[in-house]
Amino acid sequence: MSSIALQLLINGLIAGAIYALVASGFSLIYSTNKFIHFAHGATIAFSAYILYFLFSVLGLNFGVAVVLSILFASLLGFAMNFLVYKQLRKKKTSSVILLIASVGLLILLESLILIFFGADVKSIGLIKVSKGMEFLGAIITPMQVTIIISSLVLLVGLFLFMKKTKLGKAMRAVSDNKDVAEIVGISSEKIYTWSFIIGSAIAGIAGILIGLEQNLVPTMGTNLIIKGFAAAIIGGIGSVYGAVLGAFLLGIVENFGIWYLPSGYKDAIAFILLFIFLLFRPQGILGIKRRAEK
Amino acid sequence: MIEAYFVHLAILVVIYLILALSLQLALGYTGLINLGHIAFFAIGAYVSALLTLNGMPFVIAILIAGVVSAFFGFLLSIPTNKLKGDYLALATLAFTFVVYAVTLNWYSLTRGPLGLSGIPKPSILGISFSSNSSFLILTILIAIVTYFVIKKITESPFGKVLESTRDNELATRNLGKSTFKIKSTALATSAFFAGIAGCLYASYITYIDPSSFTIMQLIPILCIVIIGGLASLNGTVLATIVLILLPEPLRFLGFPSSVVGPMRQIVYALILLLILIYKPKGFFGKVELE
Repeated sequence: MSSIALQLLINGLIAGAIYALVASGFSLIYSTNKFIHFAHGATIAFSAYILYFLFSVLGLNFGVAVVLSILFASLLGFAMNFLVYKQLRKKKTSSVILLIASVGLLILLESLILIFFGADVKSIGLIKVSKGMEFLGAIITPMQVTIIISSLVLLVGLFLFMKKTKLGKAMRAVSDNKDVAEIVGISSEKIYTWSFIIGSAIAGIAGILIGLEQNLVPTMGTNLIIKGFAAAIIGGIGSVYGAVLGAFLLGIVENFGIWYLPSGYKDAIAFILLFIFLLFRPQGILGIKRRAEK
Repeated sequence: MIEAYFVHLAILVVIYLILALSLQLALGYTGLINLGHIAFFAIGAYVSALLTLNGMPFVIAILIAGVVSAFFGFLLSIPTNKLKGDYLALATLAFTFVVYAVTLNWYSLTRGPLGLSGIPKPSILGISFSSNSSFLILTILIAIVTYFVIKKITESPFGKVLESTRDNELATRNLGKSTFKIKSTALATSAFFAGIAGCLYASYITYIDPSSFTIMQLIPILCIVIIGGLASLNGTVLATIVLILLPEPLRFLGFPSSVVGPMRQIVYALILLLILIYKPKGFFGKVELE
């Protein structure tokens, strides 16, 4: 393999790891709640900004700032579910209304970031820009290695959580069949709340890692959720594993795509893939057939 | 000075009104959860800007802008014909992002993030509409035409078919109607008027760039249509006036302009959330969003 191809593959894996972090939390919320929580992107952006505020502005200890940022993300997810989605669910509103509400929440949170932190680009600046390591002729920075490793650790942790713990099993039960789960004594409302708390904590971790690797801009949440969402659709939206698979696939396709296309079209590749999957295989690669057409 | 400010506001209200009325046709009457409406607005703005910058007369440019938008509306309706509910919402939202990505990256045509500037003000048969008050009259005339055309459509037998497609697509098909034809006609017509609004916006502001056409701009229009109530044209008119003027006092509270923009968005987002929770039918709505 030429070194360009290897570099593109590594870039694809890094992008894929980032998308996987976005997509796994998003998909966890989707699989139990069955609606598209777009504001997940804003949770990621907000936690990155909170880390910036606590660590770079207030000068708190890095570890403390990280823990507080993740807690903040969880709390934000909990609040969105409690204040908005739960109220809508009480009225038995359709998933389209919940989707529109989540777009509203996304815009709301992004505007709050703009007001609190301004439109200019911020950087957390924990790690001085370091020279990348050479790996078989391709360049990778220590931060990027950290991102890939942490996302893998997190994904394995999530897998074990879903398979082994009681809460994880209950989540899968609600995700498979809410009514039957209620009959055996699982409160679906409680599971919704937990899925928001845990899914948003993953968003918090994603925000921190992305914030350390890239600069912070207020609209980063929208860009990330589109990628994470595209990844989830490609891989199969009901399944967390599908979302992770889709994330790495999307990262690699995007980075190899710019071999042929101008690099500005990198983002468009995700939309086009998303569009193709929505039309021809809305259940994704791994997903079980869900009724896209009534 | 104060007068000029009110004329400016009135022009914005009327342009948004055309945009909201056209979305009402697709969303309220036909039940198409179209989150890609801003893309048609953008296509109309870019097409007319490019044409008038190259010396095309305004009247022809605005019509071509509408027709090109309508064509894209028709194109979008082909693959999305069978999609329902949130899948349709997502496919149309993805369309917005694709159009955004193209306007941002097709540098030789759209000049990318630099945008197109110096778009000429309209002039029809030698009458120039370069002053704001004459421009206001022109937009009001176009808005009146839009209102009556859409009203005529919705009251016609075809309009009833639109509503029956919204309420029960299967039953409509059983009565021998092609719901694909119905939905694509509705989407193309809706896109046509969005394109006209885009043309007016471009020639009024005289400068457009991709950031004028993101999902941020979708929120006010969605808000207007839902608050006014689905399938209610008069509700839309009222909601447009109230909602576009509502955040204006923010300007006079002494906030810096970098804060006023996001605060407007916050106002709209909060209103949208509150209306969805407490009054999902809007104020004059005949049906609920499903």
